[in-house]
Amino acid sequence: MNNSYQKLLDGNRRYSLEKKLDDPEYFKKLSLGQTPEYLWIGCSDSRVPANEVTNTDAGEIFVHRNIANVVVHTDFNVLSVLEYAVKYIGVKHIIVCGHYGCGGIKASMTHQRHGFVDNWLRNIKDVYNKYDSELNAIQDLDKRADRLTELNVIEQVRNLAKTSIVQEAWKTRELHLHGWVYGINSGLVTDLKIIHNDKEDIEDIYRFE
Amino acid sequence: MIQKNLFADIKAGVVVFLVALPLCLGIALACKVPLFSGIIAGVVGGILVTLFSGSKYSVSGPAAGLTAIVLSSVSQLGSFEIFLAAVVFAGVLQILLGILKAGSIGNYIPNAVIKGMLAGIGIILIIKQIPHLFGYDKDPEGDEQFIQMDGENSFTELVHMINYITPGAVIIGLLSFLILILADKPFYKNNKILSNVPGPLLVVILGVLLTFVFNGYAFFAIDPQHLVNLPSITNFTELKTNLVTPDFSLIATGNFWVIVATLAVVASLETLLGIEAVDKLDPEKNESNTNKELLAQGIGNISCGLLGGLPVTSVIVRSSANINAGAKSKLSIIVHALLLLLAVFLLPQFLKLIPNACLAAILITTGFKLTKLAIFKEQWKFGLEQFLPFVITVVVMLITDLLKGVCAGIVVAVIFIIRDNIKSSFDCSKEVIQGQLYYLIKLPQHVTFFNKGYLIKFFRTIQADSKVIIDGSINRTINRDSKDVIANFIASAQKRKVEVELIKYKN
Repeated sequence: MNNSYQKLLDGNRRYSLEKKLDDPEYFKKLSLGQTPEYLWIGCSDSRVPANEVTNTDAGEIFVHRNIANVVVHTDFNVLSVLEYAVKYIGVKHIIVCGHYGCGGIKASMTHQRHGFVDNWLRNIKDVYNKYDSELNAIQDLDKRADRLTELNVIEQVRNLAKTSIVQEAWKTRELHLHGWVYGINSGLVTDLKIIHNDKEDIEDIYRFE
Repeated sequence: MIQKNLFADIKAGVVVFLVALPLCLGIALACKVPLFSGIIAGVVGGILVTLFSGSKYSVSGPAAGLTAIVLSSVSQLGSFEIFLAAVVFAGVLQILLGILKAGSIGNYIPNAVIKGMLAGIGIILIIKQIPHLFGYDKDPEGDEQFIQMDGENSFTELVHMINYITPGAVIIGLLSFLILILADKPFYKNNKILSNVPGPLLVVILGVLLTFVFNGYAFFAIDPQHLVNLPSITNFTELKTNLVTPDFSLIATGNFWVIVATLAVVASLETLLGIEAVDKLDPEKNESNTNKELLAQGIGNISCGLLGGLPVTSVIVRSSANINAGAKSKLSIIVHALLLLLAVFLLPQFLKLIPNACLAAILITTGFKLTKLAIFKEQWKFGLEQFLPFVITVVVMLITDLLKGVCAGIVVAVIFIIRDNIKSSFDCSKEVIQGQLYYLIKLPQHVTFFNKGYLIKFFRTIQADSKVIIDGSINRTINRDSKDVIANFIASAQKRKVEVELIKYKN
C-alpha cells in the first residue's frame, strides 16, 4: 500500500516545486482568493478532469462532480454548490459536461440491480422514459447509450434552468447555461449548443415570475 | 475564363518584357560581356527555367546580383568562354542540389548575411556604373574588387573619369536618373497612363530620342562607343555566328571548380531568396517548390552556358513586376521571353541607339534598392547580433570578394549564435519542505552541449542530506556530454548523502 500512496505525496511535492519554477508567488497569489468564471457540473469519472480537459489552471473553474452529472432539485449537495457559485462567486457560465462511455448511463439502461446507487440512477431512467420512443428505435446499444448521454445532458441543463437559484440570477444579470459531451476516445468536447440565457426553453409551469 | 487569363498573361508578359529588356542589356554591360549574352540569358531564363520551375510567377534571367561574381570569375579564368564552361557545370551542380533537396539550406543562412551580400552587390553595382553615367566607358579589365588590375581602385577611377566626361551622356544619365526616381513615386504609380509605362522603358525611349537630338550638336554628341552594341541578326546563320560557345580547356584546374561551386551556391541562394520574395507577393499565396526550382535553374544555366548566355537566377524586380501586372500563369513569363527574342531580331536599329548612360542609370537605381539606407538602419535596429554579421559581410566583400564576404559574415553570425546558447540555463527550484531540502531540475525539450557547463555548476551547489528531483518529462533529446554530467552526479549522490528521484529519465 505504501508505494501507491507515497506516489501521491511525492507527486504533490513535485507539484508544489514545479508551479513555483515559473512564478515563485504562484500559491501566494492563489491564496488571496478565487474568482472563477465557470461552474462545472461533470461526471465523477476519473478520465474527465475539468481543468485538464479545458486546459485551464487552478482557480479558474468551480467544480461539482457526481455520477452521470445529474442535477437533482432536491440534492442538497449540488444546490449548495450552485448557490455559492451563482450568488456569491458570480460565475458567468455553468457547464453541464457528460461523456460518451459513461458507466452510469450504461448501467441505467439495464434492468440489473446494482445496489443503493440504483436510486441515484433512477434520475437517468427518468430521462430515458421521457424519450423512450426515440431511444428504443436505436438498435445499436452503444449508439443508444451515446444518445442517452446527450439527452441526459440536455435534461440536466433544463433542470438547472428550473431551479430558483438560476432564475433568481436571471432577474438581475446574464448567466449562460451550456451542455457539453466529452469524448474520452478523442479528447474533444462537443458543444450541444443548447445555450440557455433565460427560461424560454422550459415548460411554463416551471417558470417563476 | 481561358480567354480572360490568356489576355491577362499577354499583357503581363509585355510589361515584364519592357522592364526586362533594358535590364538584360544593362546587366550584360555591367558584367562586361557581349550584350547579346544578356538577351540569351533573358530568353533561356524566361522559357526553359519557367517550363520546369517550381514557382508560378518567378521570372528568371540575368541578375544584377551576379555581376560581382561574373566580373571576378571572368577575370580569374581569363575569358568569357571559359567562364561559360563554368556556368554549364554550375548548372549541373544546381540540378544535383535540387535532387539532394538542398532547397531548404537557404533557411540556414542568417538573413543578416544574405542582406549583407545583396547590399554589397548593390554598392559594387553603383560604384562601377557611375563612370558610365557620365559617358566614361574606358573600364579596366573586369573585376569587382577594390584594387583593380590597372593600378587604379574603384575610387580613383571616379576621379579619373572627370577628365573624360561627355556632356551629352551626363545630361542623358542624370535625366534618366530623375525619371527613375519619379517613376517610383506614388503619383506615377497611381496615374492611369503612366502606371502602364515602366520607368526603364521611358528612360530608354528618352535616351534614344536625346541621342538623336544631340547628334546634331557637336558639343553634346554621344560617342558611338557609348551606345549599346548589339549584333544585327537577320537570319539563322547570323544568329549562330553570334552565339559564343563555352571553352572547356580549364576543367582540370582547381580554381575552375571553386568558381563553379561559388557560382552554383550564389545563384542558388539568390534564387531561393527571390522565390521567397515572390511567394510573399503572390496574391494566391502559393508556396513554391524550392527543390524543383533548383532543378529548373540548373537546366537553365546549363543551357545558358552552352549558348553563350549569362548565368540566371530568379529575379525579384521582374518577378514583382510580373505579379503586379496581373499575370495569371507561367505563360506571361514565356511571352516576355519571346518578346525579348523578337526585339533582337526586329528592333536592332532601335536598340543600338540606346546610350550606356541610360542602362547605367537603371542599374544604379537597382543597386540603390539593394543598398538603401533603410536596410542598414533596420539591421542596426535588430541589434548587434544582426548588424555585425551584416556589416562584416559587406565590408569583407568589398575588400576581397563575395565568397569571402559571405563566409566572414557567417562566422560572425555563428559566434553570436554560440554565445546565445552558452547563456542557456534550466528551470531549477530549491526549497525546504517539512524540514527536508528539495531541489527540482526540469530538463527542457532539448539539452545541448552548451548546457553542460551550467549542469556542472548546478550539481556542485547541491548540499548534503537533500533530495534532488530530476524531471525529464518534457525532454526529447539530450547531448551525450550533458548526460554524462548527470550520470556522474547520480553516481556520486550516495556518497554525498543526497537522494535522487528520476521522473521519466533513463540514466
